[in-house]
Amino acid sequence: MRPLGRKALSIAVVSGKGGTGKTSFSASLALSRPGVVAVDADVEEPNLALLLGDPVMATMNVTLPVPAVEAEKCTRCGICSRTCRFGAVLSFGQAPPVFNELCHGCGACVMACPEKALYEVERPVGFVGRGSSNGIILVEGRLMVGMPNPVPVIERAIELGLSEGLDTVIDSPPGAACPMVAALREADVAILVTEPTPFGRADAEVVAEVLRDMGKPAALVVNRSGILETDPPFDGITGTFPVLARLPFSRVVAEGCARGIPPTELDPSWKDAAKAAWEWATEVTR
Amino acid sequence: MRPREIVVMSGKGGTGKTTLASVLARALSGNCVLCDADVDVPDLWILLAPRVQLEEEFIGGDKAALHRPPCDDCGLCVPVCRFGALSMENGKVTLDWSRCEGCGACTLVCPRGAFSLSPAVQGRIYGSETDFGFFWHARLLPGGENSGRLVQVLRERTKKTAVEQGKPWILVDGPPGIACPAISAMTGCSVALAVTEPSRSGLHDLKRLGELAARFRVPMAVVLNRCDLSEEGSETIREACRREGWPLLVEIPFIPGVVEDLARARIPEAISPEMVRQILEGIDALLVPVK
Repeated sequence: MRPLGRKALSIAVVSGKGGTGKTSFSASLALSRPGVVAVDADVEEPNLALLLGDPVMATMNVTLPVPAVEAEKCTRCGICSRTCRFGAVLSFGQAPPVFNELCHGCGACVMACPEKALYEVERPVGFVGRGSSNGIILVEGRLMVGMPNPVPVIERAIELGLSEGLDTVIDSPPGAACPMVAALREADVAILVTEPTPFGRADAEVVAEVLRDMGKPAALVVNRSGILETDPPFDGITGTFPVLARLPFSRVVAEGCARGIPPTELDPSWKDAAKAAWEWATEVTR
Repeated sequence: MRPREIVVMSGKGGTGKTTLASVLARALSGNCVLCDADVDVPDLWILLAPRVQLEEEFIGGDKAALHRPPCDDCGLCVPVCRFGALSMENGKVTLDWSRCEGCGACTLVCPRGAFSLSPAVQGRIYGSETDFGFFWHARLLPGGENSGRLVQVLRERTKKTAVEQGKPWILVDGPPGIACPAISAMTGCSVALAVTEPSRSGLHDLKRLGELAARFRVPMAVVLNRCDLSEEGSETIREACRREGWPLLVEIPFIPGVVEDLARARIPEAISPEMVRQILEGIDALLVPVK
């Protein structure tokens, strides 16, 4: 929900390392703020719906414009194949070109063909679903298995989510490469969910570099706090981010998440952490 | 003899890929070459304590550069870029390098030849000694692209080293997900070891990984980690394995000692040699005998 006269706020939940609690925290953010949009931008493995009541969703295809050839116009000159920078257009001898899944949908081959023998068709690469559950609008991106590039699906899901004009939570993919950047690009702020292990800290630092380069305000939520007697400090860029909450390792929460029960229903510290995150995000974007 | 390649995958992140890879590396010590294919957030080095011997730049795909002159801000290029890397700002063509995928469409349309394409450094590649075997790893630049290509390069290096050193095993710590780096890590491997957990998301992601493995014709076996987290969840995983014909090699309970070892950057001692033996025997059974 958003009060009149205030711009809608979007928060991306990122982590670097997988399995630190991104999706659990994204669900907590959504559940602690009625009337929000939750976007599952982890399109390779979308799991947010499982914590938000798995609503029925209306889906539509996400497509990529890919080339096709009118064989009778093609002179087998091979210019299309030489133009493609991704190895997606293969041209052998006297056969017209063939196209593979490496295509980025850039259209360069179509532009380059001197005979205008190439045209574009829409190839499905994934789906975007929209449903609602308990006052939350859920938008889910889902990459088709076998498709190499998740970015168009991520961008489409986020575009659809933000078009609602409401406060939005974006559950991002793990890692720190182009899919994570695509999920983060349109967000106002980022919450970095991490854990106090050498892995969590190393991966958070890579993400922190991306956040710094993109100029995104960011804050930390430390999950599984207290594995060692004291959490080792975050240093580097990560060390400069405010820590909004430390969530202790809880078997009850882990068991609940495994069964699709969001942590806010099991442990009040998750509710408090989500509330602190919304307050911080509101403050920092004021 | 051609080395056998085991890739540790998971779909869902945080199920224990790197942990399992480290335990297998110790078990295969002296007989394997190692590779970390999780190139944007690599973690296996933390447990293997590599001594870097070789270091080189990874040249990924191309990126466009806009030269002014000759650019006269005619704007013909802006609608041509499908990735939103070109825009008009205050009458000036602006190039957002981070969005450029290096397709070259702008170079084709520009009447003044104002664009050039050149290869961009997207990361670094390392070849290292470890206590268990030679180790190829990398670091994609933060926010970098072409991770699939980088994984491919790493796997080529790893294979070459394994052949040169006559090692029978290659062990690849894979990335999460199912997109380009996962496809690059899995293609052509002898066996994919899927590490999962007894949660609804673990099951959901395991099924997608299984579909990917089937598509690329890589035999897949399953390791169920933290099996005591949910008996109901474990049963659904077992059932999926039976139905899909994925051998379930071992079930590992939640062991607090493992978490503590990992927090101290040590290869966990608490995963028993018996469990590791079950995994390796299971893999052996899946492999086609070498003629």
